[in-house]
Amino acid sequence: MNKFSQLLAAIAAGLAVFVAAWFFIQAGHHGSVPAIAADAVAPAAASPAKGAPIDSSKCILPTDYMRAHHMQELNKWRKDSVRDGNRTFVNPEGAHFDKSLNTCLGCHGSNPMFCFMCHEYANVKPTCWNCHLSPMEVPQ
Amino acid sequence: MSQNRREFLKKAGLGALAGLGAAAGLFPAFALEQTDMSNFTDKPVPGKVRWGMLIDTRKCLGNCTECIVRCHHDHNVPDFGKSKSEVKWIWKSGYENAFPTASTQFQNPEVLERQVLTLCNHCAEPPCTKACPTEATFKRWDGIVSIDYHRCIGCRFCMAACPYGSRSFNWEDPRSKVKELSTAYPTRMRGVVEKCNFCSERLVKGELPACVVSCAENALTFGDLNKPDSEIRKLLASNETMQRKPELGTLPSVFYII
Repeated sequence: MNKFSQLLAAIAAGLAVFVAAWFFIQAGHHGSVPAIAADAVAPAAASPAKGAPIDSSKCILPTDYMRAHHMQELNKWRKDSVRDGNRTFVNPEGAHFDKSLNTCLGCHGSNPMFCFMCHEYANVKPTCWNCHLSPMEVPQ
Repeated sequence: MSQNRREFLKKAGLGALAGLGAAAGLFPAFALEQTDMSNFTDKPVPGKVRWGMLIDTRKCLGNCTECIVRCHHDHNVPDFGKSKSEVKWIWKSGYENAFPTASTQFQNPEVLERQVLTLCNHCAEPPCTKACPTEATFKRWDGIVSIDYHRCIGCRFCMAACPYGSRSFNWEDPRSKVKELSTAYPTRMRGVVEKCNFCSERLVKGELPACVVSCAENALTFGDLNKPDSEIRKLLASNETMQRKPELGTLPSVFYII
């Protein structure tokens, strides 16, 4: 039983790597790798706190949850990465993400209006872009 | 046997706990948490690492400002064009300004004229973090004195507390005053204090700080002061070195070879 579950896990891991590689290659083909995402990808050097490689195939958590709770999640990431140095986020499916705004913008940055459309509609004015570069300011 | 509700709940609770414990022990594969702890090797241990820098002033000569230009570009440091509201992360000071309490009597005139590279000392006993009322500036797990710009309220207590003048205040909006915007690092906003962060955004990726990499003369050495066999510790052991204002007891992590 245990061996069987290990086998399953190995197969799942292999599949995940394949899917990630496939997406990476696809992105490379279209030449649309966002410039800001590139800096969040960690090289395999001996580092004190390695950032996890970005898995850009899906969002960190389900869309419905993120729509309602992205602000809490961002605040939590901010505290973890800035103050505690814990930069790796593992979602319930076991995928690893670097706790960085660049992880979000790696996908969502492709639509420069992604944040603004909804914030405009809801009339909320978050202060993120006072310092961080918004997708509208980064050359695509 | 009479048994009231409270007693019953107590016993039931104990029983449930015992059951859970037994289940976790009997079936380790089905323990409550399915988390693989090897994923959390990135969680840092406070105090294990202490990053430090050694500046060889014998090699850092002339008017070269390569490291300053590189750092200020990479971190979107604004240029307001006025010395009064100057923002600087790394800069050059005269020898007597950098080491005001060092003896200058009959000192080698060449040394006295040297321009010394100065930056935040990332003290082991930082006075700035004690002055900060919002804990926006704090000593990190790896010895870096960091600023959480999200929390800074711009009171400038830390600037008064820092004995090295390492901190600058954004009197105006810095975004529009950055010459060439680097997309790899955020800017700051008006009303926050900023300073050198020992390139913590590069350390995360396993890279050396920008100033160290950009120095053509290899005058800067960066490493872990807590690791006895690191290059910086070997150089510290084999050279006579100085710290800035050591008598203040701030224990700077930046050392100088004169």
